[in-house]
Amino acid sequence: MSTKILVVDDEPDLELMISQKFRKQVRDRELLFVYAKSGVEALQKLQADSEMDIVLTDINMPEMDGLTLLAKLSEQYPLIKAVIVSAYDDMSNIRTALNRGAFDFVTKPIDFNDLEITLKKTIQEAHTFKRAVKDHDQLVAIQQELDVARKIQYSIVPRKFPPFPERNEFEVHAEMIPARDVGGDFYDFFLIDDGRLGFVIGDVSGKGVPAALFMAVSKTLLKATALKGVPPEECLQQVNRILYLESVAAMFVTIFYGILNTRTGEVDYCNGGHNPPYVLRADGRVEAAETTGGLVLGAMKNTAYKAKKIILQAGDGIFLFTDGVTEAMDRNNEQFTEARLEENLKQWPNTPLPDFVRNVIEAVKTFSSGAQQADDITILALRFLGKR
Amino acid sequence: MEITQIQHGDLLVVNLNGRLDAHTAKSFEERLIPLIDQGNKRILADFSKLDYISSAGLRVLLMAARKLDDAGGKIALCGLKTPIKTVFDIAGFSSIFPIFSSRQEAITDFTK
Repeated sequence: MSTKILVVDDEPDLELMISQKFRKQVRDRELLFVYAKSGVEALQKLQADSEMDIVLTDINMPEMDGLTLLAKLSEQYPLIKAVIVSAYDDMSNIRTALNRGAFDFVTKPIDFNDLEITLKKTIQEAHTFKRAVKDHDQLVAIQQELDVARKIQYSIVPRKFPPFPERNEFEVHAEMIPARDVGGDFYDFFLIDDGRLGFVIGDVSGKGVPAALFMAVSKTLLKATALKGVPPEECLQQVNRILYLESVAAMFVTIFYGILNTRTGEVDYCNGGHNPPYVLRADGRVEAAETTGGLVLGAMKNTAYKAKKIILQAGDGIFLFTDGVTEAMDRNNEQFTEARLEENLKQWPNTPLPDFVRNVIEAVKTFSSGAQQADDITILALRFLGKR
Repeated sequence: MEITQIQHGDLLVVNLNGRLDAHTAKSFEERLIPLIDQGNKRILADFSKLDYISSAGLRVLLMAARKLDDAGGKIALCGLKTPIKTVFDIAGFSSIFPIFSSRQEAITDFTK
């Protein structure tokens, strides 16, 4: 790596000495020297060239002296290391210079060996410092990328509860806790028409920004297709065909899509590779929804899906979740499992819906306390009330 | 995770030992995809020593299946333990991959 050094002196001695003594390093492009005759000219040169690593400056100069230049440097160019050249016994100026952020000093008359050693030390320091700043910037960039992913994920799912306060025949609640590196979970619910509620949960394979973007596309496509009022199996079929074209590096998404008839309690659903939800009965029974054998979406160009039906009575409900719930791990790498989840689902009767969802989340959190959350945790629950 | 391979005629058997999760999927991808790029058209992934598979692992298999599809090839699986078979069933992957109970059965079928 070549190092750029700005030499500031109103007299020619420094320039002369440097161009003689560092001839080899300059020829090998190891060192590159730029010269200025005053502090003002030095600042102009710095403004024109952002790559400068080191400033070697005399103290007494016309227009702007070295000490004033030092103050400007530490203000405007904190990455640049400065070395000052002072008279041998000028302790007060040396002290001022060091206080203003100079890295080191050499004294006049300049001893070439001393200058070479000082420059070497300063170059090392400048490069270490720059590398540290670069590393830090990269870490910040990664962190920002993760924040972007989390923001996409958070902003795209409905977060206002209760979402349909004017409806008394059903209620919906959902919660999502993204993992640190974002797993691409999502949920959604919407009225297709006055008598039908569409509800969705999904999980994109992969993590970070690519997963978040694929998630956003999946969710938007699904809702747009569903709002046309097509049956669930047809909806997944159409969405799959488009997602397949979007799927870079074989990315895919699991989607469970159901339509609740808000008058009759009938639910038509289709499952594209997602964990089967639970049907929660008013009397406390917990049943796994029958599988429909559908493939994850985005995997294969032409995939056919099959729908199934569940009948909900007043007080019954459906509990949808992602594998971040059942595969949440404790500190001994033991998973939360379906068994623990089902145990928690027994509190369904008589628990208000938002509390019910929150309690399950709390149970998962308590279980995995102290361990890092590896995947998004997402739950959507709906209860059919039956009255109108 | 440990990955080994052995050739049976024109069938390449890839053995997976351990867990195929978000951490190990990358090394599986870096091993498997070049094998396809090198021209292997018949691949059998032996899962009999595989204890766990996550969606990241499924994605690599899907990537391989798509590549082989384009190349006129085929990938099959054998020896899936029950929890892994369950993952395949839920994700619908059982319908897109030929799955054999044992390596012998797969080899017999492939060399028919």
